[in-house]
Amino acid sequence: MIGRMLVAALLVATWSLPAAAQLTPDAEKALYEAAKAEGSVNWYVAHYSTEIAERYGRAFTEKYPGVKVNVVRATSGVVFQRVVQELRSGPPQADVLASADISHYLELKRRGQLETYRPANSATLIEPMRRIDPDDQYHAVSFGLVVLMRRTDKVKAEDAPKAWTDLHDPRWRNQIALSHPSFSGSVTTWTAALNKAYGWSFFEKLEKNKPQIGRSLLDTNAMLKAGERTVGMALLQAAAQDQDKGEPIAPIYPTDGGVVIAGSMAIVKGAPHPNAAKLFMEYLQGEAFDRLQSQDFFEPMHEGVPSRTGLVLKNTKLLIISPEELLKAAPEVKDKWRDTFGN
Amino acid sequence: MPVLTLNGLGRAFGKVNAVDGVDLRIADGEFVSLLGPSGCGKTTTLRMIAGFIDPTSGTIEVDGKVLSSTKGSLPPEKRGMSMIFQSYAIWPNMTVGQNVAFGLTLRKLPADEIKRRIDNILGVVKMTHLIDRYPAELSGGQQQRVALARAIVVQPSVLLLDEPLSNLDANLREEMRFEIRRLHDEFKITTVYVTHDQAEAMATSDRIAVMNLGKIEQVDDPHTLYTRPRKRFVAGFIGRTNFVSGKRDGGTVRFDGFSVDADRLDGAARSGPELLYSVRPQNLRLSLGAPEGGVIAVAGEVAERTFLGEHWDYVFAVKEGGARLRVSAPAHDVHAAGTKAWLAIDPALMVPID
Amino acid sequence: MSLATSIGEVRTRLANRGVDWTILIWIALAAILIFIVVNPLARLVLSSFEVVDGKGYTIDNYFAAYGRWRYVQALLNTLVMGAGVAVLSALFAVPLAWACARTDMPFKNFIRISVLAAFVTPPYLGAVGWVLLAGPNSGWINRAWVALTGATEPLVNVFSLGGLILIMACNLFFFIFVFVTAALELVSTEMEDAANVLGAGAFRTAFRITLPLVYPAILGGVIVVFLQSLALFGVPALIAIPARYPVVTTQLWQFFESPVRVEVAAAYAIPLLGITISLLGLQRWLLRRKGFVVVTGKGGERRITKLGAWRLPLLGYALFVCALSVLMPMVVLVQAAFSRAWGRGFSFDNLTLSNFQFVLFEHHGARQAVFNSITYAAIAAFFAISLSLCIAYIVNRKLLRFSGVLAFLCMAPFVIPGIVLAIGFYAAYAPPPLALYGTALILILSFTTRALPISYTNSAAGIRSVHPEMEEAVRVLGGGRFTAIRRVVAPLLKRSLVGAWILVFIPTCQELSTAIFLTGPNTRVMSVLMLDFSEEGKLEQLSALGGVLLVITIAIVALGFRIVGRDFMLRRIS
Ligand SMILES: Nc1ncnc2c1ncn2[C@@H]1O[C@H](COP(=O)(O)OP(=O)(O)O)[C@@H](O)[C@H]1O
Ligand SMILES: [Mg+2]
Repeated sequence: MIGRMLVAALLVATWSLPAAAQLTPDAEKALYEAAKAEGSVNWYVAHYSTEIAERYGRAFTEKYPGVKVNVVRATSGVVFQRVVQELRSGPPQADVLASADISHYLELKRRGQLETYRPANSATLIEPMRRIDPDDQYHAVSFGLVVLMRRTDKVKAEDAPKAWTDLHDPRWRNQIALSHPSFSGSVTTWTAALNKAYGWSFFEKLEKNKPQIGRSLLDTNAMLKAGERTVGMALLQAAAQDQDKGEPIAPIYPTDGGVVIAGSMAIVKGAPHPNAAKLFMEYLQGEAFDRLQSQDFFEPMHEGVPSRTGLVLKNTKLLIISPEELLKAAPEVKDKWRDTFGN
Repeated sequence: MPVLTLNGLGRAFGKVNAVDGVDLRIADGEFVSLLGPSGCGKTTTLRMIAGFIDPTSGTIEVDGKVLSSTKGSLPPEKRGMSMIFQSYAIWPNMTVGQNVAFGLTLRKLPADEIKRRIDNILGVVKMTHLIDRYPAELSGGQQQRVALARAIVVQPSVLLLDEPLSNLDANLREEMRFEIRRLHDEFKITTVYVTHDQAEAMATSDRIAVMNLGKIEQVDDPHTLYTRPRKRFVAGFIGRTNFVSGKRDGGTVRFDGFSVDADRLDGAARSGPELLYSVRPQNLRLSLGAPEGGVIAVAGEVAERTFLGEHWDYVFAVKEGGARLRVSAPAHDVHAAGTKAWLAIDPALMVPID
Repeated sequence: MSLATSIGEVRTRLANRGVDWTILIWIALAAILIFIVVNPLARLVLSSFEVVDGKGYTIDNYFAAYGRWRYVQALLNTLVMGAGVAVLSALFAVPLAWACARTDMPFKNFIRISVLAAFVTPPYLGAVGWVLLAGPNSGWINRAWVALTGATEPLVNVFSLGGLILIMACNLFFFIFVFVTAALELVSTEMEDAANVLGAGAFRTAFRITLPLVYPAILGGVIVVFLQSLALFGVPALIAIPARYPVVTTQLWQFFESPVRVEVAAAYAIPLLGITISLLGLQRWLLRRKGFVVVTGKGGERRITKLGAWRLPLLGYALFVCALSVLMPMVVLVQAAFSRAWGRGFSFDNLTLSNFQFVLFEHHGARQAVFNSITYAAIAAFFAISLSLCIAYIVNRKLLRFSGVLAFLCMAPFVIPGIVLAIGFYAAYAPPPLALYGTALILILSFTTRALPISYTNSAAGIRSVHPEMEEAVRVLGGGRFTAIRRVVAPLLKRSLVGAWILVFIPTCQELSTAIFLTGPNTRVMSVLMLDFSEEGKLEQLSALGGVLLVITIAIVALGFRIVGRDFMLRRIS
């Protein structure tokens, strides 16, 4: 299968070491001055929770006093809609868009509504994250993974599903937590990746187990925490964080591969604070931020930053779907989803 | 000199002519009532005088100055009149004193003058002790007095009243009737008073204008109006009456069941041969024997009777022709139904109707 | 003085009086209404015929909107849901209204206050409460059920059509309660006595005489509830998606996702308008012939029906309804608001204030949203009431010709579901030249539009209560119309206007279905934030924020009680 081949290709490829070039102090200073004049940056963000996004925003302001980050947290579908609405109605209010649904960037790019900018810091990233858009219109800022998770007090590690396909086991009837691809970009990616790996029958079988369907990839954690469900899909980072906080939740890395969510961001064309947006983008691709972010169980994007989940990406099976593939597949899988799951 | 003049005043609402060509001249200090059944256009006329409604024909003048015409009207607040409303329209958010003071403060009188006038007028309407009450704490009669005080204290050029007593009970109504007349005698304000109650109009007015279907039927002082009604409507509306119609035949006028010499009857010399007379029940006398002494004697019988306490109300059936006349008789004058009797009619009390 | 000159004088005075300003005012009011009512709607209809992302007109949007069975299915689902909500609301409201208005049932005030509380709680908050109560595996009810009976299947599942209907009915039955209470207070006991004399008992009398007399009120309430339920967005988002029961509002939302198809959304929204208008037509038709004593108002005394042995059963039912609609959801919401994780239950180590700390101090958007909600709602309520008061005044005093048109426009938003209105506003004012998208103004204006019908009914009732002669008495004494308004009308209306303002303020403060489409980064309101929280599964923080909203609302209701007396809310809504 193409998916597997792609994964395999990725696994054998050796990552070329990043070039040393990064944002020079002079360039940084100039950008900071310009950003300070603008005062703030409006960040429409879907792929972090509110607390984390707010915390990252504050960290940025700590490093660059005088540039405030206005966090507008919503799901990918919502942030995208808002940006599109704004762009239709005149100069946008959003500076930086962070949707988990890569097709959103492609759509905006097609309409010529994204700013072209190549962050100097992008050169420091590991290869799969470096310049994911050859035209430099959107940029990777986090390495997310969609995996399985379980309620530790209700499902023992040995009983837990090991692979995505294990979810078809009737044991998990009324026990699975999923999310809706129309409301969550990460879930769209996940749906497209699994559709690519196993075909749509994977979902038809899944439906037989009557999963509960939430509206965002964080909803599933809430369902487990509440005791509503016992296993589910999860953002690795979110599940690991919950585990860390002492919640009865543990991530499970599926043997058939975690789905890579290249958490991306883009600067909206005509953004009200373009320099602040660029500075913010530089910051997000810098190593300092990577260290901060990896503390929250995101996989590091720089070679020298340790992973808190203990995953060694180079040795792990990954399901990757390219932006173009996703753009093509997204409407189709969302549509099929509604046919299969009836909502 | 006539102070208030209505010239061919008319008002149409769509196709309805609520007021239709009213002419009226009201002298300075005169008290005139508009009397008529409900819906005859009294309120509309009054509100045109006040300036709330614009006429669709005719004019309203005060001292020769046109206030209302079809081309436009002076707004009510510029007319220097006063009005007392059916609902009293006492402002519930102000005390008695504030209500009465309102018009004076609008006229920007000095404070001590306002106080003097309020004290005076509240004394006149016997409300001095209630000056700080709110309207909700007053009885209907007291509210009415406040309304009167409020309207009079500004010394209006014309005082307008729209059925001011209709919300009071009967006793109070009678009391207030005299109160209103007393205030008029004291202040001599030109007054237009709207009512559908003839007793009210009689008790208060110098002259009464009887209205029907938007038109004035007759304007006269109360006594003339009662004793010499000129229109069928007026005779029927003011008090009760019998209408008898006759035909002139040479020197006599033939009625149903009796005839009279034409020269003994008022207005019998008029052009047409068809004549109509009104004769009040209390001007007819019932007797068992034939009456004498220059009156017309009519034979017949007592057809129905109703005892009303103060008097008897008989229906007398005339023998020839079968006309039925109502007769009012004192309480001691008892006749059983079916009794053969005579009726005495004084031709001088037969009033010709146009 | 000749007639000609005096007429000339009248004319000049007329100019002073300003015959023209009335025309100007009419034009100004009409312009405002066109801006906030007519144009958004016209744009909605128009854009349903526009080519997506292009120029020209087409009918394709309707094919896109109805060309798929799934979309039609969502519409049918919505109607089923609305009918269910209407019926259940009537079952809740009518017995309670009768019990509170006409019987000697004990604790009537407690029941009344609970009903009010059910209304003051935003529906989406109630939905969260019910998720905590009746989630199939984790809800308190099901956990208790499983623990007590050892059953393997849950007792109730909130993520179902039934759950959807129950949650909506719990909030909306208030309308029927208020309508019916008001009507029952006008039914003379003599009517009931007449039936009693003929040998009918209390219940037979209630069913055969009293209830049929208030049938118009019940019908009116049922229709309002039905329409309101179609237009709710928050509850379907929380319940219908997991329940896999697509409805119109969630479907509309999906037309806004990539690729955004406002035009198709507009086309899809048009039938909601159609349904609303035809229902109101149906209501007219149903009430066309029968004589209903109720509408004639007063007459006869009103006595209380003695329930005898039925007192406690009826109280039991009333408490049951209140428990479903307020008490149970409130208890779990409060628990969640003070919990680290609500699922861990009522234990000491689970107790925390951190959720409140988060929403009040840490989350930078939350304080802003609280502030926004309150200011927008306050301003919108003020706008709506000022506007409708002007119009009610003009209509009632017949100051202008065609003022009926203005009244009609004030009432028209009643037939526009909030989400549809939002799309209309979006289509009309989001694009240049006005480019209002994301501004506070567009939210305030749309809230104003939403609030117009309630404001207008209240203002008109207020104006009607001030006899025109009150003003004429001012004018005849020499005061102009504005003096009359300032010195008499305004003071007399003060109380009822404060009441109306609160009545408008509370639902506006909780508005979601319009706000969700029109809010921008700096104009988020509490309701939208709560929905975002729910997407992240932050039910504890959501409960805390909901608590903040409720505390504010209750403070304002209490203030209202203070200023205008206790039952302003239960009396004056229609
Ligand atoms: N504003 C109005 N619009 C239409 N018709 C009216 C209006 N005001 C009065 N009318 C009609 O004009 C007639 C006279 O009314 P009105 O002056 O109030 O009578 P009154 O005071 O003598 O009872 C009635 O037939 C009434 O229906
Ligand atoms: Mg009248």
